[in-house]
Amino acid sequence: MNFEAIIGLEIHVQMKTKSKMFSASPNSFSRMPNTEVTGFDMSFPGTMPRPNKQAIINAIRIANALHMTIDPLVRFDRKNYFYPDLPKGFQITQEFHPIGRNGYLDILDKDGATKRIHIERIHLEEDTCKQIHFSDYTLLDYNRAGIPLVEIVSQPEIHSGTEAMHYVEAIRNIAVYSLTSDGKMEEGSLRVDVNVSLRPYGSTIFGTKVEIKNINSLKHIEQAIDYEIQRQRACLLSGGRVAQDTRRFDESSGRTVSMRVKIPAVDYKCFPEPNIVPIRLSKEFIQEAIDSCPELYEAKKTRYIEAGLPSIDADIILSNLDMSLYFDEALKKCKSAKTLGNFMIVEVNAYLNRKGIGIKDYPLDPIALAEIANYQEEGYTHKQCVEILSYCLENACTPPADAKRALHIEMHDSDENAVLELVTQVLNDNPQSVADFKSGKDRAIGFLIGQVMKKAKGKFNPAVVAKIMNTEIQKR
Amino acid sequence: MDYLDMGIAEIHSALVKKEVTPLELARLALQKAKENKENAFEYICEAEALEFAATLVEPEENNLLWGIPYACKDNFSTKGIPTTASSNILEGYVPLFDATVVKKLAEKKAVLIGKTTLDELAMGGTGTTGHKGTTFNPYDPDHKHLIGGSSCGSAVAVAAGIVPFAIGSDTGDSVRKPASYGGLVGMKATWGRISRYGLFCFAPSLDHVAYFTRSVEDSATLLNALAGRDEMDSTSSFQPMDNYASGLGNELKGKRIAIINGILDTIRNKKLISAFQKSVDQLILAGACIDYVDFPTELLHAIYPTYIVISCAEATSSNANLDGIKFGPYRGGATYQEVMSNARTKGFSELIKRRFVIGSFALMSENREELFERAQKARARIVQVTNQILADHDAIYLPASPSTAPVVGGSSDKLSDERLIADNYLQIGNFAGLPSITLPLTMLDGYPIGVNLTGKAFDEKNLFGIAKSVERITGLEGLDVNVRKEALL
Repeated sequence: MNFEAIIGLEIHVQMKTKSKMFSASPNSFSRMPNTEVTGFDMSFPGTMPRPNKQAIINAIRIANALHMTIDPLVRFDRKNYFYPDLPKGFQITQEFHPIGRNGYLDILDKDGATKRIHIERIHLEEDTCKQIHFSDYTLLDYNRAGIPLVEIVSQPEIHSGTEAMHYVEAIRNIAVYSLTSDGKMEEGSLRVDVNVSLRPYGSTIFGTKVEIKNINSLKHIEQAIDYEIQRQRACLLSGGRVAQDTRRFDESSGRTVSMRVKIPAVDYKCFPEPNIVPIRLSKEFIQEAIDSCPELYEAKKTRYIEAGLPSIDADIILSNLDMSLYFDEALKKCKSAKTLGNFMIVEVNAYLNRKGIGIKDYPLDPIALAEIANYQEEGYTHKQCVEILSYCLENACTPPADAKRALHIEMHDSDENAVLELVTQVLNDNPQSVADFKSGKDRAIGFLIGQVMKKAKGKFNPAVVAKIMNTEIQKR
Repeated sequence: MDYLDMGIAEIHSALVKKEVTPLELARLALQKAKENKENAFEYICEAEALEFAATLVEPEENNLLWGIPYACKDNFSTKGIPTTASSNILEGYVPLFDATVVKKLAEKKAVLIGKTTLDELAMGGTGTTGHKGTTFNPYDPDHKHLIGGSSCGSAVAVAAGIVPFAIGSDTGDSVRKPASYGGLVGMKATWGRISRYGLFCFAPSLDHVAYFTRSVEDSATLLNALAGRDEMDSTSSFQPMDNYASGLGNELKGKRIAIINGILDTIRNKKLISAFQKSVDQLILAGACIDYVDFPTELLHAIYPTYIVISCAEATSSNANLDGIKFGPYRGGATYQEVMSNARTKGFSELIKRRFVIGSFALMSENREELFERAQKARARIVQVTNQILADHDAIYLPASPSTAPVVGGSSDKLSDERLIADNYLQIGNFAGLPSITLPLTMLDGYPIGVNLTGKAFDEKNLFGIAKSVERITGLEGLDVNVRKEALL
């Protein structure tokens, strides 16, 4: 029997707003526990929620990027349950009226074809506090309590681990490039819960749903889902029944492991939050939130490719938000996206890796890098430009023009007639080498090029010399 | 009779003339508080009050509240001052911040002399369910009569002349009902007019900051001090403030006042009806236009169940923060469930638990539509009818309670129309968030009883004007146990 996997994803994106969802407490991801807490975050009696405007703006931007219908009346509800990480005994969320409904996202399926995944809803809510468990006690860190979250719920339209991975990657790109979140799965600022069930092809009835929680990388999403599909298929084929449970992904074994059997759904007894009156968003407010949204991943990628950057290079630069922001600044002054991209991907990255720093700490400003890339466009060799770059970095960010002067770097002559003249002369002067080349000794051409460069006192562009030498030697 | 039995303006005048100092007033209020036998106080802020009062030396002529002692219900957060909401679950809780109203009064240099008793967590109307036991009516030295609740201690503090005003909260009628039993002016403004920041949430959609005074003038003075937008309470209104005392001299001529037949008709006390009718006759003589209006009976019957469902549902959620983990007594347990269960089992009285169970039951998915959503619909209809009446009228006028102070341990027919309707209709003011003021009507057999005026949203100035006219008719301005008066009616 052949089975179809039905996969739905719930993604929680933690926002990096200045303050929390409903309190003025700073939200700067402090490592020191319980240092970013107000009375509201600990639910002291008499404290009241104050909705965060920037969080609403961020949610509008994400909703727009996902082609959703935006509800101009922002309403919040209480979701009631008792748990130690829930200070108020309820979570303020948007159960009844999510800010965004009925959207979609186009992704690539495992065959590389475009596939549309529909998105049911996105809504705003607050994070819980963090529990740190020890053998006989548990500590609570309220820094996380109240951090704004946007939850994105897909329709169960995903059918493989690869699709799920592409979907999450696209959502993460939107969250990161809208400056909503740093999107770090490994740190929990983007959390993915996956629901997987199997059913025979053609069936319209859903199978038993298994939840996989807290997967901490894109690759693991793919692995966890593919494993889970195999596991459920094997179970069904051997006549077993899939247990409704909550599982986690075990990285070392590449398997999903049961955490707990799912208890019947909790009745959250939701009702409208009486301490927040519905907020009416004007058309202008919504439009302004959308118009002022920073350029998103897909738009940047299109722009980079139109500017001449190879697609694969665009992906590399866009894999890091700060890298792309640096690239954007440099691109404004640079004549070639491709050359600039090459410098970023090779030279800049090598430097960053060597120093163990991020692009934000790269000493050279983007304009200077653009200037150096422009030298290459003007005719200096890549090697010469790299020398200038190194000199700048080693000498307290000397302006590239000064570096060039200090290094006595001069532009190679690329006048093809002048090159041809010397090439002809060298070929005439070295018949033995020409003969060697003809008899299959490829190395002979290197000697001939060297002779030309020597006669030209290094002023010719070696690439041009090589090209002409190759053409001319064939004629002999 | 001493300074503390006087009105705020009179005390202010004495302070400005330096006939008395804030420190002397605070000492007097503290002494009266300590001598009080009615169980009005949770905590008397002796050291804090004396220290603050001693700093008040140069009178502020334009600040009526300068140096005036007051009391505050113990469900308002007061920085550094124990606050229990009269519940064991908050025993030993010392808040880290001041409620906005407490902060505003401190800025006005009013002197907080004590935190007053209430029905546990403000849930109740009798003043008998706080962890310190029953609070009594000061009109009865034998302690056979109740003052009513839930703002029982604040009502006593003003009725017994301990302070000229006291802060309370009103979710159903928790200020306006005890005001009736204590011969006081009890006022709640439009929902959103006074910041609730720092008021312990009971049922936020119905909760109001409210307060007791002994005159309509003092009530207007207080609203001038307490009203206004507050960033800390996002439900507080941006509506500009009025000078609420500026309409006190208004004539009644041209004012349209509605009396709801279906409520008045359920009252069986003939003396009360007679006194009420006399006041109506006087209002007509003073130029008011009185209309007797109808209100659908099924909606009047729906008031109490609607209130119970909504208030209990919101209360069970709003008090879910009281789990013994963050503040209040920690009673141990092997698991988090046990820790919470122990704290809540020992921390709440049976009555509170019952309300939480009712609220939880109403919200359960299988009951939600039948109970919670139906209550919301009933509320919306009641509000709609009320606002229709107020579209043509300046105020609704009715007795504030069907009887004088109830007897301790007394029972009443809980399903009688009088009990269901006349005893609960003030909740309409909470459903609709309308300004509503109770003031004394008359004395019946030695006990005061009040009338209530409920007006249009944000029309407090007009409402005070009409209330002042009623007060002129009754002549009961400044009533307290030390200044006994008989109504002019």
